[in-house]
Amino acid sequence: MDASFYAQLLLNGILMGVIYALVAMGLSLIFGVLEIVNFAHGEFYMLGAMLAYFLTANWGFSYWPTIAVVTLVGLAVGYVLYEGLLLALRGGGFERSILLTLGLSMVLQNGAVFLFTTTPRMMNSDISYINVFLGGLRVPVARLYALGLGLAAFCVLYLTLYRTRVGKAMRGVAQNRDAALMVGINPRVVSRLAVAIGIGLSGLAGAALAPVYAVHPLMGFSFVFKAFAIIIIGGLGNVSGAAIAAVMLGVVESFAGGFLPLALADAIAFISMILVLLLKPQGLFGRGVRI
Amino acid sequence: MPILQSTASALALALFASMATAQSGASPLVIGASTPLTGTVAHYGQHARWGAELAIEEANAQGGALGRKIEIDFQDNRCNPAEAVKSVSQMLATKKYVAIFDGLCSSAALAIMPLVERAQVPFIIANASATSIAEKSGVGGNKWTFKVNPTDASMLDALIRWLDKDGKTGNIAFLGEDTDYGRAGSSGLEAALKKQNHQLVMTDYFQKGTADFTAALTKIKAKKPSLLVLYATDADFQNALRQWYTLGGGVPLTGRVLVDQVPKEIMASGFLDGTTSVQPYDPSIDTPANKAFVEAFTKRYNVAPMLISFESYETIRILIDAMRRSGDGSPAAIRDALATTKYHSMLGTVLEFDPHNLVHNDAIIFVVKGGKVMIVGMSKT
Repeated sequence: MDASFYAQLLLNGILMGVIYALVAMGLSLIFGVLEIVNFAHGEFYMLGAMLAYFLTANWGFSYWPTIAVVTLVGLAVGYVLYEGLLLALRGGGFERSILLTLGLSMVLQNGAVFLFTTTPRMMNSDISYINVFLGGLRVPVARLYALGLGLAAFCVLYLTLYRTRVGKAMRGVAQNRDAALMVGINPRVVSRLAVAIGIGLSGLAGAALAPVYAVHPLMGFSFVFKAFAIIIIGGLGNVSGAAIAAVMLGVVESFAGGFLPLALADAIAFISMILVLLLKPQGLFGRGVRI
Repeated sequence: MPILQSTASALALALFASMATAQSGASPLVIGASTPLTGTVAHYGQHARWGAELAIEEANAQGGALGRKIEIDFQDNRCNPAEAVKSVSQMLATKKYVAIFDGLCSSAALAIMPLVERAQVPFIIANASATSIAEKSGVGGNKWTFKVNPTDASMLDALIRWLDKDGKTGNIAFLGEDTDYGRAGSSGLEAALKKQNHQLVMTDYFQKGTADFTAALTKIKAKKPSLLVLYATDADFQNALRQWYTLGGGVPLTGRVLVDQVPKEIMASGFLDGTTSVQPYDPSIDTPANKAFVEAFTKRYNVAPMLISFESYETIRILIDAMRRSGDGSPAAIRDALATTKYHSMLGTVLEFDPHNLVHNDAIIFVVKGGKVMIVGMSKT
């Protein structure tokens, strides 16, 4: 094995990790603010990819307008989801939120099967089949764009959380909802915004990855379980921790896949999750406070 | 008065009995089908259903079988053996089916086999290709199971014999789904290579539903095999193929490559030139019966048929032929009629079940050249 083999594995791993991070950050944010594990998160990612596919295939949208429209639709859906469903869970217990989001996931997945059938669709945007060369390494442009979008999303989210009043309010609600209310923060507005951003991020992930992977109604299922493992490894509710854990996992999986049977590489996320739960239950980057 | 009452009762009873007899005489012959209608291969399940329903519609337009209408009930098995057992158990417990159809996935079909043997209902498999199905059927095994497609072992044997003529079988890698289908592919390939004194240089399996293959494909590229056998279906195939393309390929593909499902951008680029594939069917096969089928299917469902739709269509026609020859339409009589099948296939061959209740057409070998798929041979399987 020459150096280019290791370099290609490292590059594949980083690209994969950022792709995981795009899905995991939204999930982590929603848990951080609302203490709700959104089992339907993978389905919003799938719907984002579906919408991106139809925008390009049926309405002739190019790449960037597709990304913008899908992200905005994701934000709007998140807003409606909070007001229409999640608000009703206020103080209703963790189990109810699991049942609700799991049920929503089933409805969305089977609804998509009914409407779109399970035929895998390949989104053919202007970047689908183009590669760039970095030294001797081949990098698909679609993955490179997904990497850029993932990094940009992380930076924007980080700056929003730590450099704006809205972000401070979100962290306040995450840490102590009642105290936040007492100092004049409206938890409903903050929670609604967190869900909108979380679902917007999953829509962005779907649109960014539609030119990379086959688009079909069951595509969210495998991603969301890996995203759960990532947010536990990174520290539940810790958005930065989730992003770092996602990139770490992407790289480790890539190297494992390069040397071990694929089935073992797939198990690494869950083996890591179990080890973290045993050795550092608050997660690798958990600080005892969420977000 | 009592005499009048007794006579009226007797007449009413006789009338009821005659009505019941007439109704049973006209009752439909119902086939039970278990296939993935949801889950990762639901797309194939849909084509299996379309193929079967088209064959039944055509048969009913010609009067059905034994003067009775033919019907088919579909149950979802999600390509999961446990769901397959559940769906067929429910069907057998709730209704009188004259036969059970398909399973589609090898693991599902293998799980259904003991159920139909216990219930003594013929089970006819159109699509599942695992070699072990035929090994367990017919002589010395399950006499109620019939399989209407070549085994992976026989198809790969034909392919390897063909490839070996050009000395291309020395250094082959295998990447397949971790199912009975994928496992049958690797064992069939190993057996075929052994006959030519070769062996696989690398074998790897992936979970169905895997989205990212870049690590495995990078590993395969680094090993520089002469050929890569790809045993993937549906979205897995699309993902693996696109990622192979973006990694630059460099190793020709072979095995059961779904050449009819390759995105046209990749095919037209010439990237897959040198790829070989073995399949039991291709819509372009130039026989009048196949042309008529492709036309009827496309008109009915607005999509072209694929291997799954063809196999389901032809298998249901074989089953209907057996129903018509069975005399009374009972499951046992249909099984006996199936065993003596002599069916003129749409592809031009005459099909008769072997002692392991297996029947199939010859394997078709495809080569991709200049961005186009060409049939280069029909090999006896």
